[in-house]
Amino acid sequence: MKNQKLLRELISNLPAIGYIFILFYIPIFILLIISFTVPRKYIVEWKFTLDNYINVFTNPDYYKILINTFWIVTVATIFLIIIGYPIAYYLARINIGIGDKLLLFTIIPVEINYLIRIYAWRVILGENGLLNSLLIALGVIEKPLTIFFYSWIAVVIVLIHEWLPYVVVPFYVNLRGIPNEVYEAAMDLGASKFQVFRTITLPLSKPGILSVIFMIYIPTLGEFAIPALVGGQTGVMLGNLIDRYLSQFNIAIGATLSFFLLLFSIIISLIMIRIFGYEALYAR
Amino acid sequence: MSSEVILRVVDVWKWFGKVLALREVNMDVYRGELLVLLGPSGSGKSTLLRIIGGLEYPSRGKVYMDGEDITFYPPYKRDTCMVFQSLALFPHMTVYDNVAYGLKIRKVPKSEIDKRVDAVLDMLRIKELKNRKVTQLSGGQRQRVAIARALILNPKVLLLDEPLGALDLKLRKELHVELKNLHKEVGNTWIFVTHDQEEALTLADRIGIMNNGRLEQIGDKWDIYEKPSSKFVADFIGETNLISGKVKSFINRDIAVVDWKGLEIYATTVEGIDKNNDIFISIRPENISISKERPSGTDGLNILTAEIIDEIFKGSYVTYYVKLSNKEIIRVAVLSKDADFEVGDHVYVYWLYNKGVVLRE
Repeated sequence: MKNQKLLRELISNLPAIGYIFILFYIPIFILLIISFTVPRKYIVEWKFTLDNYINVFTNPDYYKILINTFWIVTVATIFLIIIGYPIAYYLARINIGIGDKLLLFTIIPVEINYLIRIYAWRVILGENGLLNSLLIALGVIEKPLTIFFYSWIAVVIVLIHEWLPYVVVPFYVNLRGIPNEVYEAAMDLGASKFQVFRTITLPLSKPGILSVIFMIYIPTLGEFAIPALVGGQTGVMLGNLIDRYLSQFNIAIGATLSFFLLLFSIIISLIMIRIFGYEALYAR
Repeated sequence: MSSEVILRVVDVWKWFGKVLALREVNMDVYRGELLVLLGPSGSGKSTLLRIIGGLEYPSRGKVYMDGEDITFYPPYKRDTCMVFQSLALFPHMTVYDNVAYGLKIRKVPKSEIDKRVDAVLDMLRIKELKNRKVTQLSGGQRQRVAIARALILNPKVLLLDEPLGALDLKLRKELHVELKNLHKEVGNTWIFVTHDQEEALTLADRIGIMNNGRLEQIGDKWDIYEKPSSKFVADFIGETNLISGKVKSFINRDIAVVDWKGLEIYATTVEGIDKNNDIFISIRPENISISKERPSGTDGLNILTAEIIDEIFKGSYVTYYVKLSNKEIIRVAVLSKDADFEVGDHVYVYWLYNKGVVLRE
């Protein structure tokens, strides 16, 4: 009887389980096997070795790029929260009809192709771009600045632009969930506006902030298009390295580096779950 | 309760955009009383409470507390505390933190906070819940936390906005008694908003009836019940028979003789009623007597012949629907132990003129 029920449940969930396994876990598993093969161009040679991992874990160059990756993503995430939170807060405190509509305006830009938006930033941040021309025209600088383009700062700027809507929406949902009467109750009990924010709004948005960190920080670690197009020397991320090896058809090293990154992502995830619990992860 | 006015609302009007929520509200609240604002939803009672609490500002008019104009003081600057309809507990805090919130904001020393939290939790009999998260509490427990959170600050005026709305009937009735005792124990002034007339009659010292943004009548609950000033009040509080008629003449100025579809009814009148005015008379079903023999007539006694057409047993009393000689039907309430009538009986119904109150249209 019980087994029958279990079997029924298994069968009814088969499409979902099958989908995840065939399209996610099996490819990852294949990649894992490949990462243990001897690197050969264009083909996978089924000779197994640990050299790839020994090489990656002992080569300080990879760590440099790993640290650079973390640095860029951390700075971008901090700015995303600093910029996104007030926008969401404002939208959440105005009339819900207006707030929902205005929120749409922050989502619509996402519909424009990702690459087009990155190229647009090249036009703005480039040596003869909009920003430099403007600053020269205003007399702020005499020669075009190069720090904005082909640098890690450019990567951060474009990352912020890319991810902002994904920050504002969860913040908005989180802050909308706090009933107005809760704010009123705090004020009624003697709290000033600032105290209400500090003791009520901020603690109640903690799950939202954590989930945003989780949902943005981790995937962004694997970013490669933005650093490839605007990153230059200082904006190299681990994703670029993987991309380079894979485009040279050095699949084994690419796979090894992918697992190198995956390992650190999992470690960060586990630390966060350990500290804040699953509630934080899913903004409950 | 004393006759000293603690809170005075003077000519308060409130518009929300084009919607008029309050019109010409004048109200005195006495120190130590439990005033219930009663009215249907949308009557403006919550808006009035929020204006007193500083969560809204009136479009016109003033609010005074102990003689001081507090109309535009923010909520954190006035000595009122609100218990919200949704309770608005802080979901990320424990019971202790919720209740201590107001004192923490005021930077009261920790030892005193602990003492006062214990005292107020004790008073509301929820001491054992102190370290629970408020999300783990039942409806009645959350209710008590919300009241404790406001009471701990010992506000001059405690405002309660339908705080029992979400609870089931049995729990509500239990809490009514408890709240009334609590009010006596604490001794400060309470303003309680509700749309439930039974709740109002149970809790109140005085009742203010609100309708359509207006404070229709305010006064002692007995007076409101016995001498409603308008058709709306008579109908809203308790059950009543509303009779529409025309004033024919007066006896001794205070008794109106009213023509009610062919029947002559005596009723006590109010100022400003003239001959030939269309008026209503309100008579409570329990104020009408019923008997099989004709009662001996006295001055001002309305005696009508009637036929019982329906009866509804309501536990402690029975409501008879009786049809009068003018084909109109009225309700008569009789205590169950005296209710030895049956449908179809021909009876006499009678009441003294002063049980019927003349109301303007």
